[in-house]
Amino acid sequence: MKKLDQILIGIFFIFPFLINAQDQNKQIELKNMFGDLKARHIGPALMSGRINDLEAHPVNPRIIYAGAAGGGVWKSNDAGTTFNPIFDKNCQSIGAIEIDPNHPDQVLYVGTGETWTRNSVSIGNGLYKSTDGGVNWNKIGFEKSERIASIIVNPKNSDEIYVGVLGALWSDCEERGVFKSSDGGKTWSKILYVNPKTGCADLAMDPKNPNVLYASMWEFRRTGWSFESGGKNSALYKSVDGGKTWNKIHNGFPEGILGRLGIAIAPSNPNILYTVIEAEEDTKKGLYRSDDAGEHWKQLNNDFGITVRPFYFSRIVVDPKNPDVIVKGGLSGSISRDGGKTFKDLGNMHSDIHDIIFDINDSDRMYVGTDGGVYRSWNGGTTMEIVENLPVSQFYQVSVDDKVPYNVYGGLQDNGSWYGPSSATGGIKARDWNSIGGGDGFRVYKHPEKNIIYSEMQGAENIWRYDVEKKLIKTIQPLPKKGDPKLRFNWNAPIIVSKHHSDRVYVGSQFLHRSDDMGDSWKVISPDLTTNDKSKQLQENSGGLSKDNSGAENHTTIFTIAESPLDDQIIWVGTDDGNVQITTNGGKKWNNTIQNIKDLPKNTWVYHIEASSHDKATAYAVFDGHTQGDMNPHVYKTTDYGKTWKSITTGQIKGFVRNIQEDYVNPDLLFLGTEFGLYITIDGGKNWSKFTKNMPSVAVHYIELQKRTNDLVLATHGRGIIIIDDISPLREITPEVMTQKIHFFKTEPKIMKDQSGFSGNFGSETQFVGENPSSDLQIKYLLPKRHTFGKMSLDIFDQEGNKVMSLPPGKLKGINIVNWSYRLKPPKVAKGKTFSFGGFTAPRVKAGTYKVVIKKGKDTFEHEFVLKYDSRTGLSEADRVLKYNTTMKLYNMTQDLAYQVYQLDEIQKNTSDEKLSSDLESLKKSLVITTGDNYVGTAEPQLREKMADLYSKVAGSYDKPTQEDLDNLKVIEERFKKAEKDFDKLKKKANLDVLKLKTFEEFING
Amino acid sequence: MKNFKLFLLTLLISFSYTLKAQTADEILNNYFENTGGKASWTNLTGLKMFAKVNQSGMDIPLEITQLKDGRQMTVVKFQGQEIKQGVFDGETLWGVNFMTQKAEKNDKEATDNMKLEKNDFPSPFINYKQKNYTVELMGKETVDGTETFKIKLVKEPVTIDGKKEESVSYYYFDTDNFVPIVVESEVKSGQFKGLTSEVKMSDYQEVDGLYFPFSMTQGIKGKGGGTITIDKIELNPKVDASEFKFPEEKEVAKPAEQEKK
Repeated sequence: MKKLDQILIGIFFIFPFLINAQDQNKQIELKNMFGDLKARHIGPALMSGRINDLEAHPVNPRIIYAGAAGGGVWKSNDAGTTFNPIFDKNCQSIGAIEIDPNHPDQVLYVGTGETWTRNSVSIGNGLYKSTDGGVNWNKIGFEKSERIASIIVNPKNSDEIYVGVLGALWSDCEERGVFKSSDGGKTWSKILYVNPKTGCADLAMDPKNPNVLYASMWEFRRTGWSFESGGKNSALYKSVDGGKTWNKIHNGFPEGILGRLGIAIAPSNPNILYTVIEAEEDTKKGLYRSDDAGEHWKQLNNDFGITVRPFYFSRIVVDPKNPDVIVKGGLSGSISRDGGKTFKDLGNMHSDIHDIIFDINDSDRMYVGTDGGVYRSWNGGTTMEIVENLPVSQFYQVSVDDKVPYNVYGGLQDNGSWYGPSSATGGIKARDWNSIGGGDGFRVYKHPEKNIIYSEMQGAENIWRYDVEKKLIKTIQPLPKKGDPKLRFNWNAPIIVSKHHSDRVYVGSQFLHRSDDMGDSWKVISPDLTTNDKSKQLQENSGGLSKDNSGAENHTTIFTIAESPLDDQIIWVGTDDGNVQITTNGGKKWNNTIQNIKDLPKNTWVYHIEASSHDKATAYAVFDGHTQGDMNPHVYKTTDYGKTWKSITTGQIKGFVRNIQEDYVNPDLLFLGTEFGLYITIDGGKNWSKFTKNMPSVAVHYIELQKRTNDLVLATHGRGIIIIDDISPLREITPEVMTQKIHFFKTEPKIMKDQSGFSGNFGSETQFVGENPSSDLQIKYLLPKRHTFGKMSLDIFDQEGNKVMSLPPGKLKGINIVNWSYRLKPPKVAKGKTFSFGGFTAPRVKAGTYKVVIKKGKDTFEHEFVLKYDSRTGLSEADRVLKYNTTMKLYNMTQDLAYQVYQLDEIQKNTSDEKLSSDLESLKKSLVITTGDNYVGTAEPQLREKMADLYSKVAGSYDKPTQEDLDNLKVIEERFKKAEKDFDKLKKKANLDVLKLKTFEEFING
Repeated sequence: MKNFKLFLLTLLISFSYTLKAQTADEILNNYFENTGGKASWTNLTGLKMFAKVNQSGMDIPLEITQLKDGRQMTVVKFQGQEIKQGVFDGETLWGVNFMTQKAEKNDKEATDNMKLEKNDFPSPFINYKQKNYTVELMGKETVDGTETFKIKLVKEPVTIDGKKEESVSYYYFDTDNFVPIVVESEVKSGQFKGLTSEVKMSDYQEVDGLYFPFSMTQGIKGKGGGTITIDKIELNPKVDASEFKFPEEKEVAKPAEQEKK
């Protein structure tokens, strides 16, 4: 090191400017400052969410992959019992997963963008490859593909890869069709392309002859108000030369135009093919089979289960061992064991079956991907059991209440509406969640005062008012009165509860409806606030070859409502066809401000309006143009009731925007939910940073900020509810703070939690369990740079200057959070043969002011905080004193006994006096356990155990000690005093000078 | 003076690394040179670490011994009891059962996998080529706000529940000073199988010319973890070989009564 020192000093003098240069560059890179601030996932997984694709490892039956429609890629190492996410950094909407059959433990491909094209689908952003079993991923192209339906690696040549790109749903796109790479994905050529409206919906390869390929091409298009499946370009193609040339194979197909087609090859006999056809005539739709590799086709079945909603269900899977066993996705899923002639439904499970795989060795074992997660079967599809740990639930919205702990409320795609706690004993389990609405769920709100919850199903077909205590449900949606036109409700119809009048509720159709009596009666307080474009109201014709008028395409409707938190007369309304309306007099007069928003494409869906809680005239509006093929973010702010709007969008934001949340304290702190995650600004939108701490790149549909806890609560459309606990440190990050060596964030007085409970973990072994927030006191500070070299310590002192605790400090760049359970260390316990379990209890400190001292290098930093008692236990000040003093008396007595036993052991070890040794031994036997084990071989408790058990009982109770406790304490005290006397007598007989016993302090701290 | 040296060291390195592209070997060499020199690391015969792990406010003292020949042992101190865990004498891996307080052997797979680590002291990166390990620089990555070089290490495959699995770990070396600050690897068995384990390292301090992280926070990535704080490290400790040996249980003499029968 010596020489190095000299060189270093030399360098230091030559380049002193380096230090200054570093100082000047003080721009805040928020994305590098999040530190310990991280997302907490609470699921739930009990209803799980839509699965787009399943994939089995080719040789290891323990490994299964699931691709969620909005929740990423999950891997199971235990044959589908549990799954872990492996794709969190990337787009979470998954189309297809492929495992390289030659390197199945290393090389994986994921095509993003779900392919069962319902109204609410997300988008993908390309094809990804991993060469290390899914730990690291690289994007290898298809940036504009939007959805990838199939990936096939040639089993005889891993460099040869075929990709079927379905492509854009809402717009023309040339990145569609079948692509081929011959160099492992480095370069691609488009080998089958029809036109910008027709994509590849399915792709199959002959497993015995990889030059033989089948591709189904599908002409389709969605708009915000309609869907069209089918056209003259839909067709089934075959290539026998590795994709150089393609021919239509329609011999036996129905006449007329076609829609979505599925294709499957029987792996055990590649001449047998199955296709499911969407055709013009109902009688000609359904399953077709070829026994000559596509030369001729014959229709076998057009049951409902086979023909239902081709855009949503067209997957056909053939048993790898038996060409006559085939399974088709559908509302319930269908299985045939006679080569496709007849079908029966799969066993009971969540409806909407999108994919099926068979175990590679045992066809009785099947896995099924549904709108409600993955199911397993052990008996060929008759009985289905759900995978309980896939929290890929798709929330549309979230709201919170003000209970302790607060509850979260929200509605999900095809999975009703639910509410559950933000924390629960032992973690948030499936059983902690409560169903609060059927159908597809959307907006859910708790009444601000009463025990009433509002929820709804699609298109406001029902809006429910549920009296939680009395268990009474009333249906309250507004209905047209005489002379009213048909009410147009969005699929995801907006509801809000007033912040000013607790019984007031607003609901949006094309009109704004207001109720002042919790939905018993309604008043229309606006004209039609939409464009009322009749050409966008023809939903009964929607669907193309298969009529599909589920209500999902209802358009020219109100989509978002915002009441000013500062003024009940100011209400904002945003519509799905691009109007931003405001009233400042409770609905008497409305003003459409959309023309004041510059550079925004016409009729862009107003996804969310956030009325500021700092200023009446200020609001934020986010626009989502994806249903017009516009994937760009659009975020605007007005400070003059919409007269002018300013874009606060930057190039840092990725993905179209769904929601924005303003902080209640710092008006420059904003949170943005986009299709690819959460973004945060601390400067009012000049710079946005993506939040990635335990936060997947998942679509964030709705954001709520819980006022008491400052928790940011996110409704994700694919990963359930995600919470970032206490975002308050973000309020304090400024350029000045960044120049400090350390900055302590404000610590609110902390109430020491007395609540606890029993967690009853049995049955949740394979369940997803939501993480709890910390109930500890949290010391939060900002370090401008990571602490890597040298010592750093963190100690806590009471007001008298006594050190009460040392904790490992956080050392990350940015926000550090150190938890303290407001307890001292557990007492030092006398050494016995076994453990004294009571001795593991750590006593609570007293309420009061404490000081944290951080030492880092030569610097010392201090910060004070306050601990308070929980008033809900009903203890008086005197009770608290009694409890503390009794606890500490027992704590000290336990340590005194420990010291006594230590001395006794030392004397006994070193004495040659047999009488003394034997007297010490019999005394010791009455002080601590000297035989037995820590389980059922336990010995009779002695003084140590009795003392520790009482200590633990008193310290562990929320309550003051009972008379019973105090009486027992007397017995123990007397017993201990006697032991002390007995020991002192024996001690006198020992030669203490030679022993050099530790002092009490040395012993306790040693 | 030590802090000053470190400051200068950091300065020098942060200045120099930008001058040329890095290879994995250069990063590893820098790491060894900055932390005491490869020769000193190679000459090290063992370590004894006196540490404590903080479990919700309770400090549990640990004594961890690791030797060049692969022997190792952790002694946990609890209410005056000393409980050995993860003891490996080169052949047998064993630990004390908390219930019965008796030594028990670990299963054969765990033992066999432990044997594979015999050549990893003090660092798997020393002479990694001779061990047939592969090392790959995956590029730069920012971890917890700090820029690092990400290096992938592949060791001998391990056997998990009867199947061979690759043994892969990722080391993140701080680009400022070339010491690893985070190590990630897949949890191979138990409840968290399939999740990523993460060790965060800091408080690098010098012991007789070698730098060691005196603070290590271990846990499942994204879920927080427990911190091991090292108070003292003894280099080349003297050990008693019998301490590592599995204590065979002596056969209990049959009760006299039975003998009578």
